Amino acid sequence: MPDVPNAAQLALLLTAMAIFAAGEVLSLARLKWDRNGLRLAAKACLYCGVLVGTGVIAWHSIDRGSWLPMEDNFDTLIWLAVLLALFVAYTQRTHPLRGLDWFMMPVVILLLAAAAVFGRARPREYLDSTWSWVHRVSAYGGAAVFAIAGAVGAMYLIANHRLRAKRIAPATNLGSLERLEHITVLSVTLGFALLTIGLLTGLMRALRAGNRLGPQWYAQPKVILTFVAWVVYALVLHSPINPSFRGRKTAMLSVLGFALIIGVLIAVQWMPRNR
Amino acid sequence: MDRLLLLGMNHTTAPLELRERLAFGAQQRHEALRQFTARFQKCELVVLSTCNRVELYASRPVHERPREEELIEFVAECHSLTPAEFAGHLYHKVNRDVVDHLFHVASSLDSMVLGETQILGQVREAYAASASADAAGPLLNPLFQRAIAVGKEVMKQTPLAEGRLSVASVAVDYARGIFEHFADKTVLCIGAGKMAGLMLQNFVGLQPRQLLICNRDAAKAAALATRFGGHALAFEHLDDHLVAADIVLTSTGSTRPIITRTGFDGLRKRRRYRPIFLIDIAVPRDVEASVGEIDGVYLYNLDDLQHVVSQTQAQRTGAIDAARAIVARHVEAFIAWHRQRELGPAIHRLYSRYHAIAQDELARTLNKLPNVTPAEKAHLEDLARRIVNKLLHDPVQTLRHADADHVSATQYLHALEKLYQLNEETEPPPRN
Repeated sequence: MPDVPNAAQLALLLTAMAIFAAGEVLSLARLKWDRNGLRLAAKACLYCGVLVGTGVIAWHSIDRGSWLPMEDNFDTLIWLAVLLALFVAYTQRTHPLRGLDWFMMPVVILLLAAAAVFGRARPREYLDSTWSWVHRVSAYGGAAVFAIAGAVGAMYLIANHRLRAKRIAPATNLGSLERLEHITVLSVTLGFALLTIGLLTGLMRALRAGNRLGPQWYAQPKVILTFVAWVVYALVLHSPINPSFRGRKTAMLSVLGFALIIGVLIAVQWMPRNR
Repeated sequence: MDRLLLLGMNHTTAPLELRERLAFGAQQRHEALRQFTARFQKCELVVLSTCNRVELYASRPVHERPREEELIEFVAECHSLTPAEFAGHLYHKVNRDVVDHLFHVASSLDSMVLGETQILGQVREAYAASASADAAGPLLNPLFQRAIAVGKEVMKQTPLAEGRLSVASVAVDYARGIFEHFADKTVLCIGAGKMAGLMLQNFVGLQPRQLLICNRDAAKAAALATRFGGHALAFEHLDDHLVAADIVLTSTGSTRPIITRTGFDGLRKRRRYRPIFLIDIAVPRDVEASVGEIDGVYLYNLDDLQHVVSQTQAQRTGAIDAARAIVARHVEAFIAWHRQRELGPAIHRLYSRYHAIAQDELARTLNKLPNVTPAEKAHLEDLARRIVNKLLHDPVQTLRHADADHVSATQYLHALEKLYQLNEETEPPPRN
C-alpha cells in the first residue's frame, strides 16, 4: 500500500500552499487598499486552494487504495488544512467576519507545510485498528477546532486592545467582541469534546498496548502537553460557572491552549516509532 | 446645438430662510417641470432641491429661450415671489461650468458636510423626477447619469465618505464593535438634557431590548422616556440600573463623578462580569477615569469620541484632491463626448454638402467634354474630392482643436453652421 506521497503530489501540495499564501497576501493588502477586486481575488485563491488541496487528498487516496480519511500523516494534515479553509469560506459566505482569513490562513499554510515535511513518515503499526482511527480523528479534529478558537481568540485580544486604546476609528475593527467570544467558546466546547474522546481512546490504547509504548508512556511530552491543554480548555469552559473568566481571559486561554496543541502535534512527530 | 444652464443657490450663497422659501417639494417640482416644458419647448430641466441647495439645470438650443432672467422669473413665479427677493443670492453657470458644478455636487465636494452620501441619492431622485416627467432629454439624461456614476466612483475610490462626523454616530460604531446583537441589550441614559436626547436618537436606532432613562428631575426623565419609548427611573437606584445596563450614556450636570471605581467594582459580580459600554459626554465627567481600566469596561468620554471625528475630518480633507482629480477627469471626458456629439454631425453635413456641390459641378463640366475616358473621369473626380477636402481641412481642424473651453467650441460650431448654412433643412446652394 503506497502511503508515502510522491514528488508530484508534493509539488501539487506546494501549489496549494502558494495559492493560499497569495490569497493571504491579497486579503492583507485590503488593510491598505480596501478594493472589491482584492476581496474577490483573495476569495478566488481560497476556493482554488481548497480545490487543489482536495485534489492532493484524492490523488493520495487513489495511490493508497483507501478512501478512509486520516490514515496517515500526509492525509491527516491536509484534511485539517482543507477543513479549516472550508470553515473560513463558509463563514465569509454566510456571516462575514472581517479578518478571519488573516488569522486562519497562516494556520492552514503551516498545516500544509507540516504535511510536506512530516508526510513522508510511515504510519505506526499500533494505529492499525478502529479505535486508533477514532483516536486519531478525534484528536486531530479537536486540534482543528482549537485552531479556530485560537485564531478567533487572538482576534478578540487585538479587537479588545484597539477598542480600549481608542486610537482608531471603530469601523476598522475586527468583528464585535461579543461575536468573537461566542465563536471562541463554541469552538472550545466542540474541541474539548473531541479532545476528551481522543484522550480516552488514547488511554485505552496505551493500557491495551502494554509495554509497547514504554514503561513511562504517561511522562512523554505529547501526553503531558495534551493533559495540560485539556486542563486549560476546561478552565475556558467553566466560564459560565465563573463569569470572571469570560472575555479577555477566555481569549488568552484559547490562544495558550492552541499553542499547547501545536506543541502536541510537534511532539507526536517525534514519538518513538513502531512501538 | 444645445446650451447648458444652471441657476441656483446653496448654503454658501443664501440663508436658510430663503432656501426654505425657494425649496421645491415633490408636487411643486412636478408642476414646475410640467410648466417649464410647456413654456419652453425643445428645452430640458432638472430641479435639484435639498435642504442645502436649490438648483435648476436646464438645456436649451443656442440663441433660444429661456435666458437667465427668464429662468429667474420662472422660479419667482413658482414660489409667488419677486425676482428681487432672491436674485442677489443666485449663481449662474453655463456649459462646462455646469458639468463641473454638477459633478462636484454629486461627489459631495460642494456639500456643507464634506463626503456626506445623501446628496447622491438626492441627485438621483431629482433626475428620476425629471425623467418621469419627460423633462430630461438628450443632454440632461447623459449628464445626470454620468454625474451619478462620478459620485459613486468618488465615494468608492476615495476615503471621502468614510468614517463618522458626529460624536453620537461614532459612539454607535463603538457599540457595534463591542456588541453583536442589541435586541437583548439594555441602554441606560443618565441625564435628560439636550445632548442626552441627541445621543439617544442614534442609540434608539439599534433597537435595544430596553431603554432606561434616569434623571434627578423625574419630570424631565419622563418626557425623554415618552419621546423615545423608554422607561423613566428613579436616580436613587442608580446602582441597580447599572447592573441591568449594557450601554450607559451619561450627561448630567453633576460636579462630581456619579460612577466611581470603588462603586463600580462592587457591582461587577452582580453584573456577572458582563461587558459594559460607558459613554460619558458630561463636562465635568460623570465617570471616574479609572473605571475604564476595569476589565470588560469600555469607557469613552467626549474627547475620545471627538478625536475620532477629527480624524475623520482630516481623512476626508485629505481625500479632496483625489476626489477632484476624478471629477476633473470625468468633466473632460463628458465635454469631449458632448463636443464630439455636437461636432460630428455638423462636420459630416459640411463635407457631404460640399462634396455634393463638387460632384454636381464636375458632372456639368463632364457633360461639356464628350471625349473624356473613364480613367480621366476618375482623375477628375479625385481632383474635385481633394480640392474640397483641402479647402475644408483648416476650418474643420480649427473646430476640432478649439481650446478646451467649451464656449469657444460652441461659438465656432454655431458660426460654422451659419457661415456654411448647415441646417439640416437647408437646400444646397443654387447653381449659377
